[in-house]
Amino acid sequence: MFKFFSSSNIYSLIQKLINFINSIFFLILIIGLTFALILSPPDYIQGDSVRIMYVHVPAAWLGLACFSFITLLSIFNFIFKIRNFYFINKSIAPIGLLFTCLAIITGSLWGQPTWGTWWAWDARLTSMLVLMLFYVIYILVFKLLNKEELIVKVSSIIAIIGSINLPIIKYSVEWWATLHQPASIKISGSSSIHSAMLLPLLTMTLVFLLYGALIFLMKYKTEIIRIKKKNIKRI
Amino acid sequence: MITEFITMNGYGLYVWSSFSAVIISCVTVYLKTKRTLRKYENEFLVELQKLSVEEKNKALENSKVAQQILAASYKIN
Repeated sequence: MFKFFSSSNIYSLIQKLINFINSIFFLILIIGLTFALILSPPDYIQGDSVRIMYVHVPAAWLGLACFSFITLLSIFNFIFKIRNFYFINKSIAPIGLLFTCLAIITGSLWGQPTWGTWWAWDARLTSMLVLMLFYVIYILVFKLLNKEELIVKVSSIIAIIGSINLPIIKYSVEWWATLHQPASIKISGSSSIHSAMLLPLLTMTLVFLLYGALIFLMKYKTEIIRIKKKNIKRI
Repeated sequence: MITEFITMNGYGLYVWSSFSAVIISCVTVYLKTKRTLRKYENEFLVELQKLSVEEKNKALENSKVAQQILAASYKIN
């Protein structure tokens, strides 16, 4: 079992996964873009500006998911001291930052035609900005500190503190009167989005997920090579 | 029909800007990540070449990662 998780086996698996994602990515991307830009209907109030949802929502979901995952692995790493989690977190953080930035930028581009403003210090928007700042601080810890033990401790503390912001982001639209609309898709309970819009949204989410996985695998592979290079004489 | 598709009933600027921002950022990050990966692979190969024949053979025998990086470099070249 433990032999399976050796860096050699993980490296082979990563390469296979990268090849698999590369083989299906463009097909799903084309399907997703066709649905998002051509086949899905315009909204009866927002018109065609609703198409921004197909990039804004997946980016926001994955930005949140990445930080949740980082927090979870940080807690496990804090307790069990599994070195691999450190490298996984290091590889995921830039992807989470990218998605969070994209959610903020596309949200701003959606806000102008819908609310008449690029930005408002609204609870949802501000809490997303705070998430972005946590990502920046988290990544800076890896760049600025040298000792791995210290990085693990500091980055874990930042992730755990930052995770307090996650439920705030999720429930901000319910706790406060915000410009941002409440969630249309609910895990429990009925969703208020029509299937003609839900299908493109889920397809685009899959595209974002595959892209995120591809970047993660490439970054993780880089980390494995970096370690192997460092210890090349001990191989 | 094409004009309608481009203008998106007056929302074209916002819609296309959003999709462009996403595509440009994602392509940039992908290329940067790929370049870093290649850089580390090349640096690993340079380090491998610096080893004596005995050490190199031992490294290749014991490390599947080393074998795969070397094989990938042959494929690229």
